Amino acid sequence: MLKFLARTTALAAMIAVSLPAHAETLKMWGPEQITEPLVAQLWNGIKADFEKANPGVTVEFMPPTGTISNGAVQAAIQSDAGPDVILTNSGIGRISVVKNAKQVMPLTEQYEKRGWKDEIYPWLYTELKGQFGGEIYEVPDGLDALGIWYHKDIFAQAGWKIPASWSEFETLMKSIEETGLQPIAIGPRTTGSAGHLFGNLLQSASGKEAIGKALRREIAWDDPSVAAGAIRLQKLVEAGYIKKEMAGLDLDGASRLWFNKRAAMFVAGPWFTANARKAGYDLANAGYAPMPSDIKGADIPTGGVGWSWLVPVNSKQPELAMKWIDFMLSDAVMKKRAQDPASTMIYPREIPGVEPPTPVLKDIFAAAAGGVGYNPSVYLPGPVLDTYFQVIQGLISGQIGGEDGMKQIQAKMAEAK
Amino acid sequence: MAPLRDAPAVPGHTGGNPARMSRPRMAGSISTDGDAGTAFWLMAPALALYAVFTLLPIAATFWLSFNSSAGFNTSASFVGVDNYAKAAQDPIVWKGLVHTFVWLAYHVVMAGGLGLLLALAVSRLRVTQVFFRTAFFLPHLVSLAVVGVIWANIYDPFFGLLNTGLTRIGLGAFTQGWLSDPALVLFSVNVASSWQGFGLYMLLFIAGLQNIDHSLYDAAEVDGANAFQKLIYVTLPGLREVTTFVVSLAMINGLKGFATVFVMTNGGPFYQSELITTYIYRLAFQSQDHGLAAVLCILLSLLAIAITIVFNRWRARLSR
Repeated sequence: MLKFLARTTALAAMIAVSLPAHAETLKMWGPEQITEPLVAQLWNGIKADFEKANPGVTVEFMPPTGTISNGAVQAAIQSDAGPDVILTNSGIGRISVVKNAKQVMPLTEQYEKRGWKDEIYPWLYTELKGQFGGEIYEVPDGLDALGIWYHKDIFAQAGWKIPASWSEFETLMKSIEETGLQPIAIGPRTTGSAGHLFGNLLQSASGKEAIGKALRREIAWDDPSVAAGAIRLQKLVEAGYIKKEMAGLDLDGASRLWFNKRAAMFVAGPWFTANARKAGYDLANAGYAPMPSDIKGADIPTGGVGWSWLVPVNSKQPELAMKWIDFMLSDAVMKKRAQDPASTMIYPREIPGVEPPTPVLKDIFAAAAGGVGYNPSVYLPGPVLDTYFQVIQGLISGQIGGEDGMKQIQAKMAEAK
Repeated sequence: MAPLRDAPAVPGHTGGNPARMSRPRMAGSISTDGDAGTAFWLMAPALALYAVFTLLPIAATFWLSFNSSAGFNTSASFVGVDNYAKAAQDPIVWKGLVHTFVWLAYHVVMAGGLGLLLALAVSRLRVTQVFFRTAFFLPHLVSLAVVGVIWANIYDPFFGLLNTGLTRIGLGAFTQGWLSDPALVLFSVNVASSWQGFGLYMLLFIAGLQNIDHSLYDAAEVDGANAFQKLIYVTLPGLREVTTFVVSLAMINGLKGFATVFVMTNGGPFYQSELITTYIYRLAFQSQDHGLAAVLCILLSLLAIAITIVFNRWRARLSR
């Protein structure tokens, strides 16, 4: 018996000695599309590189099942068995939800200490600093640039092109509608899809500056200079260019309409390349252009911070989480991701010498080169967002008018002060 | 006849109500003196679990409803009845309340009614009864979330089975925006939910039908009753007990309505399918307004209690 105990103890000691001195596991909530083979391949490569650079560390992916918008991130953090570091679709609106609930760590100090400040666009850092009185809670991983996606072949056959002015764009929609095609698809049952088109319309009708002022509460949302975009949506529905039935579609339903070429246009960002790949759509046929506007300088994509890294307050490995973010911001990883076929976004800093993996991404990068406007979905305060998305549904289903809808958003803005 | 023996004298007993006299102990039974204590210790684990998982959350919800809390680790601040006032002034709460009642009514009529109709139809079958019982029960095995996804695709206005099917058979005029029309959306989502639930009610009705005394049908036939009269005067009265049970079950399931709405419409378009339950979820997990969400949880509980009381009175009156 004593012999057996001695042998077992010796064996246990040998195993303990052979194990790395500081075995650590970093639980990471990765990108939404991580179940897609191409995306998984890229992320498994990044994981392997990080583990190699940090002996004894194991990265464990937690496949995400949602976002801050649907409460999944909050639930994961609240479970206290959640990830140590989270990549999620963000923006000030969503971040305010988890920040107000004190679920994520402030990272301002890390920006200085670890040099993250110099690893993102200066304008982006200034914007982040201005959001919560100087405190920053996220590290941008990708930016969004929302504009019109169209089928190059259909447009070429019909002799159509995305025009420069709004009145010409209305004429284009009329022509498309007369052929029996849906001019533009939207899936407002999914919050993102609702906001993508609406943000484009707001900016096109009012300009970037006016929307920025409304977001900073310098103008009311029901001010005619801001409400014009909502009235524009109301008119598109009344004209039949956007079918009321679309109020019942989600992002997948609306995308299906576009991928099957029953809709001519769709408003989306660079991430739509992943949806297209999944649907087997030929990305070479995808054209991209910002929403036309009669206001000078307003014909740029809307967007903002689309994806960010967050560190939950109950992260078991906060230091390791910071190391992971360092790694993700490094030149090597940034370049690897930007050139990979799984790339679906605009990166938070300029990466010289990188060729986008698809032509449509090249178009998006070019359109966003001069900066992007505001997608209110990611800038509005959390408590206002629900009303914002419901108002869009109300406008598309013909239940409310543009002015009334904007009054409701303004009322929520006033309440959320 | 053997003379009755006197009851054994009870020590210390000085007379009084015989019914209150202690009974003689049986061999091996638990000591009377220790009954309460033993019973308590036997029940303790269950009581502890009940306290931790039921009473404590109820108390916590009640406490939370008087506090302003923006998250799980935010120190809550007492706000009195502010959350209750906020709920009373929130038009979405009232909308959700009305929708919850409509949802309940739809579910009882559609799921319960379809369950009864199919039970009547299936119970007449001799050879294929097992097949149809199984086939009709199968949807009940599918999770409500999956049901939501399936039906959202059926209702797709452009590619969905329903509109495409109607168009193909020349009824294109009847195609609808099933999930976008404000007047239809709650009904459409409830159809999906009822489709998942009717199988269980059908089985309960079949069991009820099997318990009806067949001689009553023979007697009705002798009296010259036709099929409809037999249904009205024999079958339905015979199913009274099962019907009340099915209605109560359908009401409880209806009150819990959440998953299909959450998956298919998320309360939209423009709150037209918002239920109290979906609004609670949005407030608690998306907006992190736990105080208001707690008020709505209490409202929902009160609603369930009120419905139970009314329903039990109705049931008692029926069985008189």
